[in-house]
Order: sequence, then C-alpha cells, then structure tokens
Amino acid sequence: MGGGYPPPGGYGGPPPGGYGGQPQINNNLVWAILTTVFCCLPLGIVSIVFAAQVNGKLAAGDVAGAMDSAKKAKTWAMASAGVGVVLVLLYVAVFVFLGAASFVTS
Amino acid sequence: MTQLLPRVPVHPLLRLPAVAAPLAVGAVAAASCVVVALVDPNQPGRYPLCPFYAVTGRWCPGCGSLRGLHQLLNGNVGAALGFNPLMVLAAPILVYSWLAWLSRSVAAGPTLPRFGTGARTPLVVLVVVLAFWLLRNLAWAPFTVLAP
Repeated sequence: MGGGYPPPGGYGGPPPGGYGGQPQINNNLVWAILTTVFCCLPLGIVSIVFAAQVNGKLAAGDVAGAMDSAKKAKTWAMASAGVGVVLVLLYVAVFVFLGAASFVTS
Repeated sequence: MTQLLPRVPVHPLLRLPAVAAPLAVGAVAAASCVVVALVDPNQPGRYPLCPFYAVTGRWCPGCGSLRGLHQLLNGNVGAALGFNPLMVLAAPILVYSWLAWLSRSVAAGPTLPRFGTGARTPLVVLVVVLAFWLLRNLAWAPFTVLAP
C-alpha cells in the first residue's frame, strides 16, 4: 500500500476546520463494524483497531497520522468485505459446478 | 489504494449525485435482507460457513449473525439475541449510520451527526468486540449463552 503518509489533502480533500478548529476525519468505524459482524472474518477487527487510532491521533494534533489510520481502517474493511464476497462467489460456483456435474452424470 | 489510481477528471454531466452512493448501498442491503429473511440459514448448505469457524473450529464475533438476522427480520428479537447479541446491538447503529450518511449526501434537511466521533467510542467498540470474541468461546456457563 505504498507506505508513508498521503500528501496533504490527497485523501478525501482537505479536512474542514483549518487552523483553530478541530478537523474532522472519518475514522471509517461503521464500515469496520459492518464487516466484523457480517463478513465473518477477523479482518474487520484489524479495521476497528485502525479506526480506534484516528480520534486519538487527531486529538493529539497528528492530522497526517489520523488520515493514515483512517485510510488503513478503510482498506482493511474493504479487504474483509472483499474476502467475504469472493468466498460467497466461490461457494456459489462450486454449487453450480456440482449441480451441473450431477446433471450430466445422472 | 486511492493514491495508486490516477484521478481522472469526470465530466460534470457524467458525475453521479452524492446521494447515489448511500442509495446504492441501501438497495444492496435491502435486497440482502429480503434474501436472508426468506431463505432460512438454519438449513445447512444454503449459505457458506464462516471461514474462521471452518478453519479453527472457534466462533468469530460474527458467527451466528446470519441466523440471527433471519430471526430479527422475522420479528424474533429473543432468538436473534441467542444467535449473536453483538449483531442485534450493531444493527440499529448500522441503520442509523446509513440514515446519517443519507442526510449528509442530501443538501436539504437536517444533517445527523456521525456515529463514532467520540474520543473513546472506537476504543469501546474494539474492547466489546474482543471481549465478546473471547467470552463466547469459553465452554462453561454463563458464557455458553454467547455462543451461536
């Protein structure tokens, strides 16, 4: 995933707020919860771990670090969802194959 | 991932409105709920087994969520809690978050606050999920009620 911090404003545009105000960064926690509960894979928990880093880093003034953690939370949630979708497709493919095989042999 | 792909400028007429993303996700979620409500996951062989359970023989925090969702969508909250209380807890958060996303993507009307912006909320979620994962795999009472 490249490594290093994304360039300022490179991910989802510059955070609103600017100087003085607390910038808001989406920590992607909800996607992490969704993939943990419904994709049946502990990959979603890795996503929660990164989502949990965002607010703390933001509070400490580490905007670049918070954006990096938010991006990783999103990536791991997508990985969890992706593995779930691939497994379902494989499962369906195996059933279609077995069904076709039994149709041919019977 | 978004960095690796070059940003291609999209013609304004071809650009989808902001409301398209939550509507698409809502449509997929609604269609999935219809399937899970009608096709009973208690019958073996209809849905794939949890890969974590298949490999390790232990329950993951999401195990039982499909059977639980089937019960929840059919109005049996008690049975849903028995399969996966974490899923029953997460369901209203997910529905609310979708509504908040929809409200942010529509210019008119009020904007609902995002879930999980509190300083400790993500950490609480992490601790709850990890504790639930550990406790539901313990083989003695009262933790056995957490197993699917």
